[in-house]
Amino acid sequence: MNDYANPWSYRLQWAYMLLVVATLMTPVFYVMYVSFNENGFGAAEYVFTTEWYGVVFGDKLMMNALGWTVSLAICTTLITVPFAVLSAKFYKNARNKLPVLFLLMLPLFVAPDIFGSALLVYFKNLNFAFQWLGDQLGTGMFDAWFRLGFMTALIGLVIYTIPYAFIVVLITMGRYREEQTEAARSCGASSWRAFWDIEFPQIRPGVASSCAFTVILCFNEYTRTSLLKGGFDTFTTVLVSQMLNTGMSEQSYAMSAMVSYVAIALIGGIILWTLVRSDKLGREARAKAEPVAA
Amino acid sequence: MRDAVTTDAPAVEVRGLAKHYGPVRALDGVDVTIQAGEYFVLLGPSGGGKTTLLRTIGGFHRPTAGDVLLHGRDVSDLPPEKRPTGMVFQQYALFPHMTVERNVGYGLSLQKRPKAEISDRVSAMLDQVGLTGLGGRKPHELSGGQQQRVQLARALVLDRDILLLDEPLAALDAQLRKDMCLELKHLQEKVGVTFIHVTHNQEEAMTVANRIALIADGKLIEQGTARQIYEAPRRRFTASFIGENNLIDGTLSATGDGTATLDIGSDRITVPSDESASSGHDATISIRSELVAIGPAGGEGLAATFVESVYLGLTTSHRARLADGTEIVSRVVSAPTPPAEPGAPVTVSWPQDSARLHID
Repeated sequence: MNDYANPWSYRLQWAYMLLVVATLMTPVFYVMYVSFNENGFGAAEYVFTTEWYGVVFGDKLMMNALGWTVSLAICTTLITVPFAVLSAKFYKNARNKLPVLFLLMLPLFVAPDIFGSALLVYFKNLNFAFQWLGDQLGTGMFDAWFRLGFMTALIGLVIYTIPYAFIVVLITMGRYREEQTEAARSCGASSWRAFWDIEFPQIRPGVASSCAFTVILCFNEYTRTSLLKGGFDTFTTVLVSQMLNTGMSEQSYAMSAMVSYVAIALIGGIILWTLVRSDKLGREARAKAEPVAA
Repeated sequence: MRDAVTTDAPAVEVRGLAKHYGPVRALDGVDVTIQAGEYFVLLGPSGGGKTTLLRTIGGFHRPTAGDVLLHGRDVSDLPPEKRPTGMVFQQYALFPHMTVERNVGYGLSLQKRPKAEISDRVSAMLDQVGLTGLGGRKPHELSGGQQQRVQLARALVLDRDILLLDEPLAALDAQLRKDMCLELKHLQEKVGVTFIHVTHNQEEAMTVANRIALIADGKLIEQGTARQIYEAPRRRFTASFIGENNLIDGTLSATGDGTATLDIGSDRITVPSDESASSGHDATISIRSELVAIGPAGGEGLAATFVESVYLGLTTSHRARLADGTEIVSRVVSAPTPPAEPGAPVTVSWPQDSARLHID
């Protein structure tokens, strides 16, 4: 028996991988399946419809929550990703890397409910302190700074997403050679110009992935946001609240499925783009390269 | 900027330069002067401090102490982009997302030169380094040698006065390195820019250099022309690092009249010397292996025992051992036949004036 010609080892590896992916994705696919059922979840009869997707856009509560979530996701991404890039640069240049890594990863080690409630208490105390300061100064301008709302939810999400965004950027940055920055500087570029012209174009895929990841995390996050959001609702808090109180509505399934489509398309698109681009570059290189002539 | 610019000053002047990383002294009190238009090589073992010195001249390290003057102007506090230096790195320093043309023209575009001028100067420089027609390629589509030429072109196109080369040939294979050595030398002669080249490869250093500085343990050990360093090393370390020298340790037993006598146990060796050390001082003599002869026992010279012969193609290395255990190598051209059987007594000799005395 020629072991090298035996196809089963290779097939088993693929079967194992597909099984893992199927196990992870089955609940998501099931939500998608239910979202196309006219009779909704648990019905004995399955009647295909796209009606619920239309209804979603008429559901004010859902659309309002989606609007808040998108706003939070955009603001979080705008703060988190640049911070993650700066942190990754700092980490790469730091002589003692372990404390930097530990501090940046710290939010991951605290349970979400503990972190959320700690921030809640912190913001409430801070709010009292600022209100007192305003009273002393005879002004109301400090009253709303740390009142639970968009700002506090945003801070909670930024703290939550920074470790993930940092790791994603760091992985891409790890492949970057600092000699290129030094070469740019010896050509006359300032450190900022060297970063923008030379390093950033090379870490752009990592930054894009970091943005996508941050947006997805904002859509996923429930515990911290529900504690810190104050008076508005996000998409996840509406879904969880519906599920706990009245059960999920048909349009909730449609909305969940839509968010999953976007997330899968986004991540899949990035992976596909990376593969196609690397294949294209490889083919171009092979086509152009001639035998070495010193 | 502490000093005024003076045009007749040396291209590079380093005064009392030190660079410490905590307790580690990467550079310690280095003084070196490099004249404009010189091809100067910093040679030494890995970790000796030569790259640190080069990078400090280029502004990539801030010195712990001392000054760096370029054309008489103190640049110790200036970042790399504000110094009149260009740099060629060992590898990985081309911008992979840019074509060869854009790599070479990057510095000119930072200077906001007109596009036509950039294009003309880049083309001329690519011609000069032998890369005509490759401007549209990306770095990964070039061989190692071609990539280093792009780095050279990128640095030279800026018309800087001083070019720093940090082991530019280390990543190339042996034959390509030899070819590129000569090309670098000819290019430097053509453009007239001051080249400061770091290498740990002695042959590379001797091929290109007007002058060589030997750097080890953060100190400048010795400097001079390739011939001076090779034929008349003043320091023991230089003799041990450059060429293939036999080193014999002993104690000075007599000095004076331009000679010194070294007591090496059962034997005494007389060598020419202008050193001022007194008798009783520990010293070493060095003799280049190609000047040593191994002959039959009983001749004039030191008694030794023949060990072995190693055939190396162009040369053959014969090895003998002195009574105190010191191994002596005699390298001869085209003499594969051993002068004696292993274990047989032989005599080791050399011309008296070819031995150098080192009192470090």
